[in-house]
Amino acid sequence: MGIVIRDLHKSFGPKVVLDGFSVEARDGETLVILGGSGSGKSVTLKHVVGLLTPDSGEVEVDGQIVSTLAREELFELRRKVGYVFQFAALFDSMTLAENVAMGLRRKSDMDREAIAERVEECLRLVDLDGYGERTPSELSGGQRKRAGIARAIATKPQYLLYDEPTTGLDPVTRAMIDQLILRMSDELGVTGIVITHDMDSAFRVADRFAMLHNGRCRFEGTPDEIRACEDPVVRGFIEGRPELMEKES
Amino acid sequence: MQLLLKPFALLGRGGMTLAAGVGQWGRLTAETVQAARHVDVWLRLLIPQMARVGVDSVPIALFIALFTGIVLALQASYTFTGAIPLYFVGVLVGKTMMLELGPVLTGLALSGRVGANIAAEIGTMRVTEQIDALETLAYPPIAYLVVPRVLAGIIMVPVVTALAIGVGIVAGWITAIQLLDMSSADFVNGLTLFFLPFDVTFAMIKATSFGFIITSIGCFFGFNTQGGAEGVGHSTTRAVVVSSMAILVLDAFWALVLL
Amino acid sequence: MSRAKEALVGVVIVAAVLLVTFGTLWLQGVSLRAAETEVTAAFTSVGLIRPGNNVKYRGVRIGRIREIEVDPQGELVLVRARIQDDIPLPEDAVAILSPESLFGDWQMEIAPRDRFPAYRYSEPREEDHLPGYSIPDISQLTATADRISADIEILTERVGIAFSEETARNVASLIENTEEVTQRLSQLISQQADAFVGVTGEIQETTAEIGEAAVGLRETLDRINATLAREEVGEALNDLLAVTSNLRAFSEGVEGTSDQFRMTAARADSTLMRVSSLLATVEEGEGTLGMLFRDPGVATEMEGALQELQLLLEDVRLNPRRYLRLSIF
Ligand SMILES: Nc1ncnc2c1ncn2[C@@H]1O[C@H](COP(=O)(O)OP(=O)(O)OP(=O)(O)O)[C@@H](O)[C@H]1O
Ligand SMILES: [Mg+2]
Repeated sequence: MGIVIRDLHKSFGPKVVLDGFSVEARDGETLVILGGSGSGKSVTLKHVVGLLTPDSGEVEVDGQIVSTLAREELFELRRKVGYVFQFAALFDSMTLAENVAMGLRRKSDMDREAIAERVEECLRLVDLDGYGERTPSELSGGQRKRAGIARAIATKPQYLLYDEPTTGLDPVTRAMIDQLILRMSDELGVTGIVITHDMDSAFRVADRFAMLHNGRCRFEGTPDEIRACEDPVVRGFIEGRPELMEKES
Repeated sequence: MQLLLKPFALLGRGGMTLAAGVGQWGRLTAETVQAARHVDVWLRLLIPQMARVGVDSVPIALFIALFTGIVLALQASYTFTGAIPLYFVGVLVGKTMMLELGPVLTGLALSGRVGANIAAEIGTMRVTEQIDALETLAYPPIAYLVVPRVLAGIIMVPVVTALAIGVGIVAGWITAIQLLDMSSADFVNGLTLFFLPFDVTFAMIKATSFGFIITSIGCFFGFNTQGGAEGVGHSTTRAVVVSSMAILVLDAFWALVLL
Repeated sequence: MSRAKEALVGVVIVAAVLLVTFGTLWLQGVSLRAAETEVTAAFTSVGLIRPGNNVKYRGVRIGRIREIEVDPQGELVLVRARIQDDIPLPEDAVAILSPESLFGDWQMEIAPRDRFPAYRYSEPREEDHLPGYSIPDISQLTATADRISADIEILTERVGIAFSEETARNVASLIENTEEVTQRLSQLISQQADAFVGVTGEIQETTAEIGEAAVGLRETLDRINATLAREEVGEALNDLLAVTSNLRAFSEGVEGTSDQFRMTAARADSTLMRVSSLLATVEEGEGTLGMLFRDPGVATEMEGALQELQLLLEDVRLNPRRYLRLSIF
């Protein structure tokens, strides 16, 4: 059923972050959201799982308007959504295995052994097998990020939100994560939103692109469309040429 | 004119901040009560929290109680020279430990130890988005973080306080026998002379309320942490200061209401 | 979370629960070994007794006050206590509430009625309730002492008129004594409770002097014996009668108006009644005072009465606590 963001407004005090952002991730597709640092990409993603409430506008996930859901319904919805945090947000009082198992304990009715097995599997998927008993403080930043991905995919959610999953990873690991994202969408039919600054990675995983600029959707289209896009802001961003963008503003 | 109004403006702002804070804390408390129905979420966490709040606090609480008992006995004997018989050392040590110093000193010590710990931990979880992560994993954060801590406080602070009172009285007793040339019978006579079972009830009521205050205020400041490490430090300090003050106010409140 | 840590939580909780339970029981004085039984005593008022205070029998602590309540009719206060059940209480047991120490803690003493027969015990409604009596405290004592001193003053005046010459001189010296005592008593009352130590000292001194005065009175009576031949003796007898009846009236007044000072007043009362009835007998029977003092039996009885008065004063001197309360806490 997909994720539909309609006319989303959000301000923090006087600072307007989202100013009528609309975009859609259709069922089973992977949407990549591009945008400058501080443009409100993470804020948008938090609206999708109800961590933030919009000032106006709405987010529809799985046919439900997130901001109108009662707490219980919201938790029901969250069971279907996996969220990869930009800074991993691992529980530092727990081991990696426990971190990954957290969602399984709550969201599934697996028994201990099944959970342990699934945890092993997920850690292997992000190339962290054997790290289960470590605590987050014993990991590198990239390892933490991958553990965060393992935790998000463990429950096999229908929707996956990746907030910069490949930032800070080496090229090989980055490619491996991209593979993983693709597998999730191909094999499990996951509807995904990926935020990334890494254009290689973006073109590898994206079914469609959206660009957030000045709180609004500047561009929405397929990879081919974005390659062909003449908009200087979009061009400037994907080619890394600030002079193009400056002309605009 | 401006200068004249300034103190009043400050006072007004302070009062409003306080009122708003109390209101928000009240809401967190109400939500905590509601979240208590997610038994499956917090039950597993209760025992570890009880260990942290209670068992880990036993050494410091007993250490404080030990010296309080000794000092009480010595000072009582110093005060009661001449007209007042020495067995009043027993009365004073027993009554003071039970009614006031046992609960309040334990409460203050734990507000430093437990309250700060909770505020720092939850504050860190807030600024590193771990609380958001809990939400996305469908754990109600209040049920997961606040309920077990507050429950552990309510259960374990009285427990620690009871042990502290016991140790304090025994310390006073031993001091009386060893250093004050009192007989054990004298001390026990004083101890039992004015004892009422209500003294124990009173101490436990106080300790329970302190347990609630310490943990819920720690959670409150932790939850409302903003910013990074500095924000966490700020929350921690405020949690300790506010819960210490709340303990003293509550102490006076119980004395007014129950005595 | 290791098993060990979980167990530690359990151990700490169990330790605290045990400490609270047994600590409370111990401090309450509940004996875990000896079997206990409950006694109830009825009082018209209970002074400062509280739950937890000691119950004593012949000076030995045998239990504690458990509960105090006004009976359903509202005329008596029922004090329930738990005591060891292996103590054979006397048939006519009564309960007396009195200060145990000078610091406001009271006790309930169980005693046979004839130990303090003069007390006005309450009449319990229930068969198995003990009759009770509560000793008045210092404020009541001093109020009564005030009245006594006033009466002694009147007595002194009367006695001053009664005799003449040598007898009169003898009596006058006694009166002086008495007057001094009276003054001291008044002083004492005005300074009461300024300092507890001082008060006790003064009471001791005062009661000692009242005792001396009583000795003096006896000596005076001996001297009266020597002047029996004289004419004015009859007149003197009348005056003496008036004096004693006045004393009697005062002690009655004490008892009637204030429900206090009962032990002292009651004992003084019975003493004075005997003096006065002796004098009455003499007047009615023999017509002369001579018989009174010639009959050794009568004289002995008179002396006995005076001795009893002395004993009472001695008791006040030795046990001021019984009549005195100084609340510090
Ligand atoms: N809780 C908050 N309180 C106040 N301001 C906030 C809050 N969260 C985000 N902002 C502001 O909103 C703006 C957008 O933040 P956001 O985290 O969405 O940026 P982003 O697009 O994810 O950037 P980056 O690519 O660097 O992660 C920033 O300017 C930030 O200061
Ligand atoms: Mg971001």
